[in-house]
Amino acid sequence: MSGEATADDTMRITVENLRVALAGRDILAGVELIAAAGEITGLVGPNGSGKSTLLRTVYRHLKPQGGRVLLGERDLRSMTPAAAARHVAALPQERESDFEFTVREVVAMGRTPYQKAFAGDSAADRAAVLIALVQTGVEEHQGRRFATLSGGERQRVLLARALAQEPDVLVLDEPTNHLDVRHQVELLTLLRAQDRTTLIALHDLNAAASVCDRLHVLHEGRVRASGTPREVLTPALLAEVFGIRAAVLDHPLTGDLLIAVDHRTTAAAEVPAVESSGLRR
Amino acid sequence: MRSVSEPRIRRRAGEGVVATGSAASAGGRTGGPAGATRTARTAWVVAVLAVLLVVALTSAVSFGSVDIPIGEVWSVVGRRLRGEPPEAGTRDLIVWQLRLPRALLAAVVGAGLGLVGTAVQALVRNPLADPYLLGISSGASLGAIAVIVLGAGTGGVLGWGLSASAFAGALAAFALVWALARRGGGFSPLRLVLAGIGVGQFLSGFTSFLVLQAGDEQQTRGVLFWLMGSLSGAQWDQLALPTTAVVLGLLVLQARARALNALLMGDETAAGLGVDVARLRRELFAVTSVLTGVLVSVSGAIGFVGLMVPHVCRLLIGGDHRRLLPVSALFGAVLLVAVDTLARTAVSTQELPIGVVTAVIGAPVLLLLLDRRLETR
Repeated sequence: MSGEATADDTMRITVENLRVALAGRDILAGVELIAAAGEITGLVGPNGSGKSTLLRTVYRHLKPQGGRVLLGERDLRSMTPAAAARHVAALPQERESDFEFTVREVVAMGRTPYQKAFAGDSAADRAAVLIALVQTGVEEHQGRRFATLSGGERQRVLLARALAQEPDVLVLDEPTNHLDVRHQVELLTLLRAQDRTTLIALHDLNAAASVCDRLHVLHEGRVRASGTPREVLTPALLAEVFGIRAAVLDHPLTGDLLIAVDHRTTAAAEVPAVESSGLRR
Repeated sequence: MRSVSEPRIRRRAGEGVVATGSAASAGGRTGGPAGATRTARTAWVVAVLAVLLVVALTSAVSFGSVDIPIGEVWSVVGRRLRGEPPEAGTRDLIVWQLRLPRALLAAVVGAGLGLVGTAVQALVRNPLADPYLLGISSGASLGAIAVIVLGAGTGGVLGWGLSASAFAGALAAFALVWALARRGGGFSPLRLVLAGIGVGQFLSGFTSFLVLQAGDEQQTRGVLFWLMGSLSGAQWDQLALPTTAVVLGLLVLQARARALNALLMGDETAAGLGVDVARLRRELFAVTSVLTGVLVSVSGAIGFVGLMVPHVCRLLIGGDHRRLLPVSALFGAVLLVAVDTLARTAVSTQELPIGVVTAVIGAPVLLLLLDRRLETR
């Protein structure tokens, strides 16, 4: 049992035949995927395809009706909430809080799963918070009130909170939503610099193609395709799953995949409507 | 010794009521304490509040229909604490039997209301929430007023029979809200609030009906005092239960202070931070309901303290519940002791219901603070 093997053990997420129903409707109908250790694994798919539901189940906000989420070999549900949170940190989509927290206090919340009742912050807590503040470049704002930050600053602070959890696995639900392009690039660059297993849902296909090592395309509660961005994001799949016409090119600056979407016509216009909605049940 | 300290304490005592308000507005002006300085600031706030509490308690015992010099107050208390035979005459009666238990009850109830207000605002993630939002106090009022109107005449507003039936009413309301809010696997903030408001209105309907049935003027007065809250008739043997409840409540909530912080950021965030959100909500709802029931059963539904205190304390020291819970309790205690003194002494011919004074003073202060705060956004 070498050190490296155990590190890998807690850094891989395996989703097995996951089924989640909300209000009697199946949202996830048997999802299978692996987020490999140290890789950035992307989830893409149209609205309502189950991306957020899948992520919520991984960070234990939702309880599945069937199937498992494994951290290495262990079922996350078999662990205590705090123990699971020491391995898996989340950056959900919710934007609450008008309750007078400073940036530093928000980041320090990342230490919650390590702390006992009535105990103060340990040296390890303070160090983790400081490192997270510095890594995300928000240490200069640490005394400011969270509510006064801009959208881009907020997301970096919330990422810092997740990093302060010192997790093996980061779970992010569309973290670039509502950010301007520059702040999107900054946030994704921060993610790329992390040496952690990352499971991220993204709307922007070009961002997903650029930042993710592997992609899983969710469609109607199932994984429709898995692989590298180049294997997965083909014109045929984009037409079938997203209902768009798109050309797939090479990015002239980075060499990444570049998806040029036709914003004038949907793919559905070419295919009879009945067939497209009934496709691949 | 006495002659040296007396004038100084008396001067401060006179400022006690005003000083709480001005300390709070100073916090509003600075537009946000920085995280690094919040701990130091908290130490200051706690020190000032502790001094104010002593000052407020002393002046509460000193002022009244018969003013008793502060030196005399301490000498009576000192004799009693040392176990010496009490002074002969009315001073011992006034200080030890009448005013001191009442002042201490005000401190305990104020601390409890500040504590519950803070916890309920986190529970339903809404800064407009107060301890009475979830219908518990309506149950308590109904229980108490049923006894006043229908039951045998019990002595005073704070008779044991009244308290017991008020607490029973609170528990009944709690059970009803619990049953309604848990349907659909929830205890979501919205579900709790809706169930609480629904049950509260339902029970208030019965209360209003009973009030109409009130026979004589004395019954009506008793009912009104109950609805607006009152600390009159406090006795030593009524202090143990609320004190125990407030101390236990503080411990239980303080143990969950970090989880409360996480909960304010959202249910999903809290889950991601390793908080069992559903269980935390159940615990919070149970603890705040029992504590509210105990408080209302000894003092009636004193309004506004539970809403205002957490806000003022957040402006002073920030939102971290590890500091906010104890500071809210302390501030609530200072505030209610000061306000009760005012309610007893402001109008010489009669005692004002304390709820009237908390609303008249509290509402403008809160609005002023929030207005300044929102301007800095």
